[in-house]
Amino acid sequence: MVQQMAQVGKLLIGVWMAGVAAAMFLIVPQYEGLGNAGRIIIMHVPTAWVSVLAFALSAIFSGLYLWRRKPAYDDYALAAAEGGFLFTALATITGMIFSEVVWGVFWNWDPRQTSIFVLLLIYAALFALRSAIDDPQRRRQLSAVYALFAFVTVPFLVFVAPRMAESTLHPNCVFIQGSHCDGITLAEGRIGLLGDHKLHLLELERQGDVVTAHVLVGEPGLARETLLRPSFNLATGTMMDRPEFPGVRYQLGLERVDLASNSALLNIEAPGTGVLANRTTLYTFLASTTGFTALFIWMLHVRATLLGIAWTLAQREGVRL
Amino acid sequence: MRALFAAAWAVFVKDLRSELRTRYALNAMVLFAACTAVMVSIGTTFIGLRRTDEALLIQASLLWIALLFAAMSGLARSFVHEEETRTLAALRMAAPPLAVYLGKFLFNVAILVLLSIVTSLLFIIFVRVHVASPLAFLAILAGGGLCLASATTILAAMIAQASFKSALFAVLAFPLLVPPLVVAIQGTALSLGDGGLALALPALQFLLAYSVATFVASLMLFPFVWEA
Repeated sequence: MVQQMAQVGKLLIGVWMAGVAAAMFLIVPQYEGLGNAGRIIIMHVPTAWVSVLAFALSAIFSGLYLWRRKPAYDDYALAAAEGGFLFTALATITGMIFSEVVWGVFWNWDPRQTSIFVLLLIYAALFALRSAIDDPQRRRQLSAVYALFAFVTVPFLVFVAPRMAESTLHPNCVFIQGSHCDGITLAEGRIGLLGDHKLHLLELERQGDVVTAHVLVGEPGLARETLLRPSFNLATGTMMDRPEFPGVRYQLGLERVDLASNSALLNIEAPGTGVLANRTTLYTFLASTTGFTALFIWMLHVRATLLGIAWTLAQREGVRL
Repeated sequence: MRALFAAAWAVFVKDLRSELRTRYALNAMVLFAACTAVMVSIGTTFIGLRRTDEALLIQASLLWIALLFAAMSGLARSFVHEEETRTLAALRMAAPPLAVYLGKFLFNVAILVLLSIVTSLLFIIFVRVHVASPLAFLAILAGGGLCLASATTILAAMIAQASFKSALFAVLAFPLLVPPLVVAIQGTALSLGDGGLALALPALQFLLAYSVATFVASLMLFPFVWEA
């Protein structure tokens, strides 16, 4: 009965993942400005989530092993680490592909890239430690200690992040090649380049606390130009209207105004969480996350059972693993 | 409690004495630091670096590279030595696990204090590193050293029981040391400029928090390593 249910569950996960993959290419609308490359987030984010989940599970099972001393817990800890390593590698590779297609660089030491790189190193260290100890009980115990100890240090990466956030590639910054997060400062009447766009600041118009910039936006070499009017509130120091660039979903923000020199800081703003605002994308994304989590748990169970069987066999035949 | 500290102190003094007899770790570490400082000096003094922010970051990174690799060659010594001379069993009988951990931790801190002083002096002399805020520089150096000691002492105890000891030590330690090293390098770069202690304070807080967290985790996990 249990076996039959497991069979059904296995098939269900297979069908589910196939459905997610199909939906990713057929149903999810293109994320404007990113083209087809944007679809990879349906795979990228869930694999990254699973790699973190696996790390946490590995630490939990390590703790259980140290507490209860049952080899089965260590099998689960090892299986979680192995699965986690696989998913971490997948998240890294999908992220690198996306990054190369959209931003033109494979690697940037972005905070999240740093953390996932450290996660890869920790998994690798864990496997190196396991392979360097012969005695099975000592191996279990020491690798459990290392998994827990590493788990304590990982949260500190979160604090490192703000220090390196200037070079982020992840959303809420800029998506366009050749552009940086610092925007461009233009005086009235001057022309400048922001990413692939030519900006011409015609004038800064002040009404009470609100300053509106009249910006002529075009692409170099193209005749068509559009007038955008981003605005800025002097009293609160925040951006108000952020009109979209023609044809793409990036917005033009007026980040700062200097009335003394009549100049303004203009920047591209990514739509932020806008990707998941689309219902179809959101549901596919959630389905993908669920599917990957189920897939991981199934892999974890199978691998841990196999390790347990191998251990029982080795004990029966008196072979040292 | 007092008995524990007395035992820890005894372990520390024993390690110090046996180290001063052979000077194995000290020689290796100091020579390593000297080699690095001289190599960096040969490579960079001809350039005549201007004191830009980038130059300060480069100098801070080089200093921490020298410190990290020198430390890697010596910090595992205290435990590996016990394993090699087969004195682990005696130590197990003589002292409770916490006392052993505390003693070895103190020994590693002592080694790192010496190493940091020697390395930074070599860098100040040979690489012409100009420290504009000495107090901040010393504080960051102390904080970073504390992180190195608290994160690696328990790892040393683990690798003493494994094969490929020294290579494994670096492999295990590096991923855990990424966060404090990033912060220590940036903090050191700030302290080379004339910002004073206030500018380096966030980095210092981070380093202290990290060392306290790893120290407490080590205290809780060390008995499991010791009995394995």
